[in-house]
Amino acid sequence: MDEELRRVIFETFSEVFETMFFTFLEPLEEAPVREDLACGRFVEATISYSGGCNGSFLFYFPWELGKNITVNFLGVDEDEVQDGQVKDTAAETANMAIGGLLGKLDPAGKASLAIPQARVLADFSPETLLGKSNLCMFNTEFGILWVVGTHA
Amino acid sequence: MAFNILVADDSETMRAVIKKTVSMSGVPVGEFHEAANGKEALAVLAETWIDVILSDINMPEMGGMELLKKISEDEELKKIPLIFITTEASDARREEAQKFGVAGYVKKPFQPETIKAILYEVLEKAYAHRLEENAGEENGEESDF
Repeated sequence: MDEELRRVIFETFSEVFETMFFTFLEPLEEAPVREDLACGRFVEATISYSGGCNGSFLFYFPWELGKNITVNFLGVDEDEVQDGQVKDTAAETANMAIGGLLGKLDPAGKASLAIPQARVLADFSPETLLGKSNLCMFNTEFGILWVVGTHA
Repeated sequence: MAFNILVADDSETMRAVIKKTVSMSGVPVGEFHEAANGKEALAVLAETWIDVILSDINMPEMGGMELLKKISEDEELKKIPLIFITTEASDARREEAQKFGVAGYVKKPFQPETIKAILYEVLEKAYAHRLEENAGEENGEESDF
């Protein structure tokens, strides 16, 4: 993934997280060592686009991150958040992030964005993502957001 | 006088966020109605008095643009202002929406103030007389009878 695309991704995703979830993203140049990787419950959100340009992105939210952005999104207490709302928030995050990205990469609006999908991964290890050239990692207060994307 | 508002978005959490934002905007709300796509929105419009529609564009089964087109073809429904709240904000999309009479356009992610401003602008344009009545009631003015 070229550096310019990484820069635009960081700008666009930051706008979504700061505006809607009051959460700051810090881009990570290097992944943590394998021993420090947090594994466990994650939410995976996927979204793609086609027509004019094509791409697909997968987002991996550690459960605590997903829950906390949902708390901030809905403006409710942590104990009021339901699992379905966390999934839905992850899907909507992918929608806003990639919708915003497309707005910059495809200003003419030729590409169509698909409907995002989200699912809970009960026991996921981000180790499977390490080494991918199209991997972006963003540190947050509640763990690392992992994003794997392709754009052509 | 309060306004009945239809919120159309396939994301239940986004619908909740929009409702909360509108509730806190100061706009007098009568009832909120919800739809997960354009088809459900049309079903609500067929049975319920709605004063303004807040709709996403990218929805399954029937998207917001098709909803807008269907509304524009109906003599009564086309009087209801529709505001898009969407990630799709290209010039081409906005022009297409304007062609079918969209009342307003908000890009996601949004600040609550943006929703408030556009809602007031659209409602004042469409329902100035009702907003004046509402202001009069708040000031304790008596109506004629």
